[in-house]
Amino acid sequence: MCDHHNKLTSNNRDLQSIERQLDRREFFKKTSLGIGAIALSSLLNTEKVWSAVNPVANPSNSIGSFTRNKLGLPHHLPKAKRIVYLFQSGGPSQLDLFDYKPKLKDMFGQDLPDSIRAGQRLTGMSADQTAFPIAASTLNFKQYGESRAWVSDAMPYLSEVVDDLCFIKGMHTDAINHDPAITFFQTGSQQPGRPSIGSWISYGLGSDNNNLPTFISLVSKNGSGQPLYSRLWGNGFLPTEHQGVQFRSGKDPVLYLGDPENYDGDDRRQMLDYLKKLNGIAYDAYGDPEINARIAQYEMAYRMQTSVPEVTDTSDEPDYIFDLYGPDSRNPGTYAANCLMARKLLEKDVKFVQLYHQGWDQHGNCPGGVKYQSKNTDQGTAALIKDLKQRGMLEDTLVVWGGEFGRTVYSQGQLTNTNYGRDHHPKAFTMFMAGAGVKPGFTYGETDDFGYNIIKDPVHTHDFQATLLHLFGIDHERLTYKHQGRRFRLTDVHGDVVKDILT
Amino acid sequence: MPDFVLFLGRFHPLVVHLPIGFLFFAFVLELYGRWNKNPQLYMAIDLALLGGGISALVASVLGYMLSLSGDYDESTLDTHFWFGLATTLITFFAWGIRSGKLRIAQLNGLKPNMVALTLVVVLVSVTGHYGGNLTHGSDYLIKYAPFGRSEKVVLPPIAQLEEAAVYDYLVNPILESKCTSCHNSSKKKGGLSFQDTIAIKKGGKNGEAFIAGNVAKSEMIRRIMLDPHDEDFMPPEGKTPLTGEEKSILTFWIDNANADFRVKLADLETPEEITSIASTMLGLEDVTGKSGISLPKVGLVKEEVIGNIVSAGFKVRELIFESGLYEVVLPPNFINSSNSDDLDGKLEMLLPMKDNIIWLSLKDNDVQDRHLKTIGQFVNLQKVELEKNPITDKGIAEIIGIQSITGLNLYQTKITASSLDNFLKMKGLKRVYVWGTAITEDEVARFAEKQNRPDIIMGM
Repeated sequence: MCDHHNKLTSNNRDLQSIERQLDRREFFKKTSLGIGAIALSSLLNTEKVWSAVNPVANPSNSIGSFTRNKLGLPHHLPKAKRIVYLFQSGGPSQLDLFDYKPKLKDMFGQDLPDSIRAGQRLTGMSADQTAFPIAASTLNFKQYGESRAWVSDAMPYLSEVVDDLCFIKGMHTDAINHDPAITFFQTGSQQPGRPSIGSWISYGLGSDNNNLPTFISLVSKNGSGQPLYSRLWGNGFLPTEHQGVQFRSGKDPVLYLGDPENYDGDDRRQMLDYLKKLNGIAYDAYGDPEINARIAQYEMAYRMQTSVPEVTDTSDEPDYIFDLYGPDSRNPGTYAANCLMARKLLEKDVKFVQLYHQGWDQHGNCPGGVKYQSKNTDQGTAALIKDLKQRGMLEDTLVVWGGEFGRTVYSQGQLTNTNYGRDHHPKAFTMFMAGAGVKPGFTYGETDDFGYNIIKDPVHTHDFQATLLHLFGIDHERLTYKHQGRRFRLTDVHGDVVKDILT
Repeated sequence: MPDFVLFLGRFHPLVVHLPIGFLFFAFVLELYGRWNKNPQLYMAIDLALLGGGISALVASVLGYMLSLSGDYDESTLDTHFWFGLATTLITFFAWGIRSGKLRIAQLNGLKPNMVALTLVVVLVSVTGHYGGNLTHGSDYLIKYAPFGRSEKVVLPPIAQLEEAAVYDYLVNPILESKCTSCHNSSKKKGGLSFQDTIAIKKGGKNGEAFIAGNVAKSEMIRRIMLDPHDEDFMPPEGKTPLTGEEKSILTFWIDNANADFRVKLADLETPEEITSIASTMLGLEDVTGKSGISLPKVGLVKEEVIGNIVSAGFKVRELIFESGLYEVVLPPNFINSSNSDDLDGKLEMLLPMKDNIIWLSLKDNDVQDRHLKTIGQFVNLQKVELEKNPITDKGIAEIIGIQSITGLNLYQTKITASSLDNFLKMKGLKRVYVWGTAITEDEVARFAEKQNRPDIIMGM
């Protein structure tokens, strides 16, 4: 039955009525001749409309898809070929890491002036406090490198590579709680349902390695805190094959890739071919693009059976590489091990590697918490940057480090000489980038003496996203997807490329 | 002029369509009546002519009121006026003959109605045409006609942004698309015309349209910058407003270019924003490179050439859509010691598109010095990845002629410090990656003292 060329027809009455509807559509599609159709096709550029079905599912088209991007991308010469986004989930305290505010020492314990807070909304966790005592960081700051960047002693390894980093100290966002804020950073909207950055890039630019997903996410196992959801690497309304594939921490990064017991896998290719034909019939009958996405994913899973074990096997890495990433890197699933895995994935031209490390939510015990988090992440981050650089990969790989918001200058809860907590602060925080197309050894933006408000060069979440797409050769205003009757973009109707940080 | 008269006058464009409809319909009925001699049709012709006459009269009066605003070119207006009047009179005359109210013995034998109606239709068409010219400008009708378009002045294409005369290439196109439909030599709204430079300098009823070098005092800039709901906002409601980019260009021209009609971009200090807008407007975006990287101008590559290269195992990706500029990658380990002779043939296959390749990656593919000789012909390369290959200093000498290379990856190759001097000869070179080669930290440190050198990046 797999060879028949007729369309799948159904005996079910309800389905038959649907089939008739499709026939009517076919009828119009095939009979819309004449001058109207010609005019319409010039208006709609139908060649693009009809061929927009994903190239992955149509391998016969693969030559064309290498050379001619169906969406007319890239808009300009890209500087980045791939990206690793080290997401520090929870909101790392910029005041205890990078945004050094020496004047706070003298104001330790004083109430934050109302003129600084200016009635800004606070979370329910500290809004009821009667006082907002200023908590100067108890960590020591020093300047490093030729760029003289300030880094606290929580991050000794990172301080060695500051001359490769571009700090953005004027980041700000709209959201004040974790979930909306992370969703906002990763998808451009605080409400769930939009595609994540990686999905947009996968949709726009396609894959550079047919044997691995374009977009892979890794969650480190040695951080815990606010939960992460798979929608953060979800495809939203984009075709499903653009969703991020999560590699699990632990022995089997992707489940069920190995053959089950008593099955040698020899006839799997044959089985998949039949399955593909069946799915093809279903696609012809119902035209649901998700069927194509499913075909593409079966094929991808098949290829991943060999490619994933190969790329996740770190046994051939020399000892000095493990030493560079630190002892954790031998323990699969830790942040450091994921950094090493990220480098291997990037080397295989995976376009978007998204790391998450949870636990940066220091409402209490901020100094200790920041040190603990840094201990788990600092060496891995710095090693990844060094390793990419020595391999020449920083040339076209973008590294991004940052959380969903920053933390307040005032103490949440009790302030003592050695301890304080910090609440969520969306109005000013620090991120850094490195590599492809961003200025190395550069600091952009500035906050006031309290680290509370931005006084120079603010960068909004949407600006960051626009800049990220820009580095990939994409004009963020022109990468759109029509869904529910309107065109959507990652940056909604906002976002300006931050040209000043670009090389 | 009382506002009320102008208010009524503006109904002219609405009312004129009534006589047009009536009169054409009368003509059609007359034709139809010759074939189908139904006496009731004749009654209808009477009525249509009377309706046409009365509405033409009303339209004429309203038209006169509108003409009092003085916004229109006088000679066209005169023609329109007289033709309109003639149409009205002839219509009443035709109605007179038709209805028998007017009896002229000499004309009885001439099937007078057909003659009179034909005349009316001709007149109403001519009047309508002039009216249209007044409203939309005389080039409106045939602007998109399939014939005669080449007569329009076409600016010679330019290759370099600096060559562009600010007014001709940037300002005038904006005026033409957004302003001249109402401000032209035949329709001078507010007495202002953008038809030619003399008219532009002259300004309109409210004085000069702009003051050179002073945006703040320039009326046209004030008008386009207003809130769109403001009464003075230009273009008026219903027309497409200027985009932010267009406003920036006009402002730039008046302020920085001192509203000079000849000045070129090269003569001015041009902010980055204007450069970027201008290159988009002139379609030079890809050449100046939005990323600030200058790109070579190349022809397009035939699909079959790329098809062959892809089937040989290369990955080919266009770096800017339809620019003809490509990244070519041979996946690592595609070539190893067992099939190393294949590489010569594969690289030969790239030659037909050698100028189109600006990023090339051959890492870990047993590339040897002799292969670099072929690569030396790829004169437009910018990024080259040759790491993990048995390349020596001899091979590097083959590619030093490619001045456009900015990033060169040579880690884990067999090069030595003697290549360092060759890097100096590559003027565009910015970064060379040499981790895992024989080059030592000391040698790099010594090299670091030289002028105009690329960064040498080592590793652990």
